[in-house]
Amino acid sequence: MLLNRKGSGARWRVRPDGPDKVTGKLAYLTDMTAPDMLIGRVLRSPHPHARITAIRTEQAAALEGVHAVITHKDVPGLNRFGIAHPDQPVLCEDRVRYVGDAVAAVAADTIAIAEQALRLIEVDYEVLPIVDDAEYALTDDAPSLHSQGNLLHRNGFKRGDVITGFDNCAHVVEETYYTPRQMHTYMETEGGLFIFGEDGRLTVYAPTQHGFMDRMQLARILAIPQSDIRIVSSPIGGSFGGKDELNVQPYGALLARITNRPVKLHNSRWESVRAGLKRHPMKISMKTGVDCSGKLIAHQVRIIADTGPYATLGAEVLNFAVEHVIGPYRYDNLDVDGFSVYTNNGMSGEFRGFGGNQAIFALEGQFDRLAEKLGLDPWELRLRNMRKSEDPGPFDQPIALTEGAKQVSSAMTASTLWQERGKLGTEEQQAEPWIRTGIGAAFTMHGAGLGFGIPDPAGGRLTLAADGKIEAVFSYEEFGQGLIATLEQMLIEQFGFASEDIRIIIGDSDVVPDSGSTTASRATSMMWKSLQNLRPLFEEAVLSKAAEFVKFPARQLRFGEGGVYAIVVNPDSSAEECLITYPALAAACGEPVTCTTTFHFPTSATEKVGAHFLYTYSAVAVKVEVNQLTGRVRLLHQYHAVAAGPVMNPQGFLGQIEGGSSMALGFALTEDAVMSGGQYLTKNLDTYLVPTIAEHRGTIDVQAIEELPEDDSHGPRGIGEVGSVTLAPAIAAAIYDAVGIRVTKLPIDPELLLAQSFDQLLEKAVSGE
Amino acid sequence: MKDSMRPLTPLEASSIPCTLNGHEINLNVPPAKRLLHVLRDDLAMTGTKRSCDIGRCGACMVMVDGVPVNSCLTMAYQCSGKSITTIEGVSAGGIDPIQRAFLEEGGFQCGYCTPGMIISVKALLDHNPDPTPLQIEEALSGNICRCTGYGGIKRAVQKAIEWRKESYESESISG
Repeated sequence: MLLNRKGSGARWRVRPDGPDKVTGKLAYLTDMTAPDMLIGRVLRSPHPHARITAIRTEQAAALEGVHAVITHKDVPGLNRFGIAHPDQPVLCEDRVRYVGDAVAAVAADTIAIAEQALRLIEVDYEVLPIVDDAEYALTDDAPSLHSQGNLLHRNGFKRGDVITGFDNCAHVVEETYYTPRQMHTYMETEGGLFIFGEDGRLTVYAPTQHGFMDRMQLARILAIPQSDIRIVSSPIGGSFGGKDELNVQPYGALLARITNRPVKLHNSRWESVRAGLKRHPMKISMKTGVDCSGKLIAHQVRIIADTGPYATLGAEVLNFAVEHVIGPYRYDNLDVDGFSVYTNNGMSGEFRGFGGNQAIFALEGQFDRLAEKLGLDPWELRLRNMRKSEDPGPFDQPIALTEGAKQVSSAMTASTLWQERGKLGTEEQQAEPWIRTGIGAAFTMHGAGLGFGIPDPAGGRLTLAADGKIEAVFSYEEFGQGLIATLEQMLIEQFGFASEDIRIIIGDSDVVPDSGSTTASRATSMMWKSLQNLRPLFEEAVLSKAAEFVKFPARQLRFGEGGVYAIVVNPDSSAEECLITYPALAAACGEPVTCTTTFHFPTSATEKVGAHFLYTYSAVAVKVEVNQLTGRVRLLHQYHAVAAGPVMNPQGFLGQIEGGSSMALGFALTEDAVMSGGQYLTKNLDTYLVPTIAEHRGTIDVQAIEELPEDDSHGPRGIGEVGSVTLAPAIAAAIYDAVGIRVTKLPIDPELLLAQSFDQLLEKAVSGE
Repeated sequence: MKDSMRPLTPLEASSIPCTLNGHEINLNVPPAKRLLHVLRDDLAMTGTKRSCDIGRCGACMVMVDGVPVNSCLTMAYQCSGKSITTIEGVSAGGIDPIQRAFLEEGGFQCGYCTPGMIISVKALLDHNPDPTPLQIEEALSGNICRCTGYGGIKRAVQKAIEWRKESYESESISG
């Protein structure tokens, strides 16, 4: 199904959170204020690596209007955070390891006073030699950044013997690929409001992707029970993985506790850049060999990921990359070795695609190069090695069987765009001979869920509330992806409710069950599964109550718009009639009727940590235009085939693929948070270039392939990330088709694509030719 | 050093007359205070969003005398005698056709860029009811959206152009 408004008919719905968004009425958590509120600010290290020899806060504390100045001494509990491996100081004690490291924080009456107070804090630093390169970090010469050295995590996978494998290859391609330090660039920077109530409980109003994880981490830092903390975490002005880890919450919570006043923090863009997470820059070296028929014989990969100063989910991102450099192909001999390495560069961490973006760019590049050596069509080479539906997953683990790989491949190769390949007209090229067009494609299978070996709970609750509303309650977060809209649409389409019947409750740890994190393309799948589990329970509970009051057998009742209806056996016999409204039923029941479900994200029967069970498949074709005078690339047309099971919300699905693809366009062409000597050179959006509407002149078709095997019980697969992982290698292939230049480094340097090098042009200009 | 224990004080507030969303008001704020902060912090009008603070992203866009400007780069004194329209003003008479187009076409996701984006679209269409794709591109290239990839936004703008044309034509006929 080609996704668009027209083809979706009545399934294309206005989002329930839309009216408040387009009118500006929606209060984001960073829009909130409270009476008597103080402003919080954080003092961060100017140095990428230094020893702290003294911190003097007296002057700042003495400034009129300053209510608290805190350092590491004021952290009552664990002075560390990190979802998987808490090694990042809340407030540094004796050492800073990057330019975002927090050393002190203040709470003051106004922004100006808070900022003046920061300037009055004196910190004596003894600057230390820095480690700003991940390969250097692994050498014996490099200073050690942590007690265990500079290696956060090493992971790999082996099958057969690559050495003998390469001996038996007809062709071998060796290449090293580099990917940038991409920034999430959520439009709402980090921030929130922190209030200790009269009951001594802390309420945190701050965006996150997993409220219960924040609650656990904050309880550990504040040394108070988790039950004393309430996390309110939606709505969110974008996250993309970047607000998964704690950011300003520890400072807001500590300052609010010490001052006993509400405290608000809202990062400036520069503070967001210097302190926040980025996508791991990776160097991926691949050696891949085939026999003369194009069958893959051996694949050897080395991944070096620059994880920055602290862990967050650096190890898990590496695990994901290790899995996805293997991808949807089968190899006799395989040797993947990956390293996630501490440096004094910016923090790297969780980001949409989660290591897949880098891995897939490299892997697909190998196929294009090998096909050329073989004299084969690049897609033909993929087809010859593509997994069959019954094949095990990348780590030889059992996975949910689907025809996804074949489906997206067939759809893509049948697309008008792909069919145009090789037939590109020369007219435009004659008119502007420096413009070259080309078509390329790439392929992926992208894992969803946190993977084997990691707690990945799911579940939710349905309640017929006292006022007659059907409450759907989950701990998922709305950061723009349209989760509320999708949940509402599922309730309407699967249960028969009207939108007015429904009240959706998310993002408040005091009232929601633990549905796990809103990450890893998992929320829609888990909401769907929850509703599958809940439907028979809720029907049983509510319809049997209704049966008592309407004197009708429960099995002849059904949910409908506004209330409970009789199942009409013969549609001609009588008009549809609501037997009892939900408010009347709720009143008759006297108390809320509640059903809950809890389960675990499906995992594979394997021992390999991080191995996935559910995958989304995608094939992407693009047409690009390369300007050989400027070296600039323009994306003219994109075609995405995505096999992710049934489409729950067509507008949401289309938006996720279009939006993910836009991020991938930036990853491919313009985005890089450039660092030098551990300092950011790109401090704001004037130099860090995310795509604007002008970069999106081209068209995009999104083909959703919904068919799943008949016995499939997993329903819709995640689509939050897959749109962001396959475009870059497709663009690289299209550039090669256009101008015969191979790209190994993203973002693509325009100078690489100039018909003449700048030096040649300069020489020409100077010599007057 | 004793002086530094006192907060640095900004220039004294002065009274700046202007029109805000159709209401004549006096802004009693320091003249160099950014309009963005006047709106959000002094007037509690948070529909105008803060994001880059350097006039690059458009989240804080408002109209001053019908022209779209970044309120993060506009100082209070520059508003003297001017007419300011914020997203709250656009929404004052109910949902504007541009906003309805964004709703129906899915021209937003997280919604944080949306008020600024809608201001830019309104300023464009008020001046040029039938812009070319290149004119749309130019008018909106100062508004960054990180969620949508601009697909829904482009469709919303086209829809808004159609609707405005239709209502103009029907008004012309009935008028």
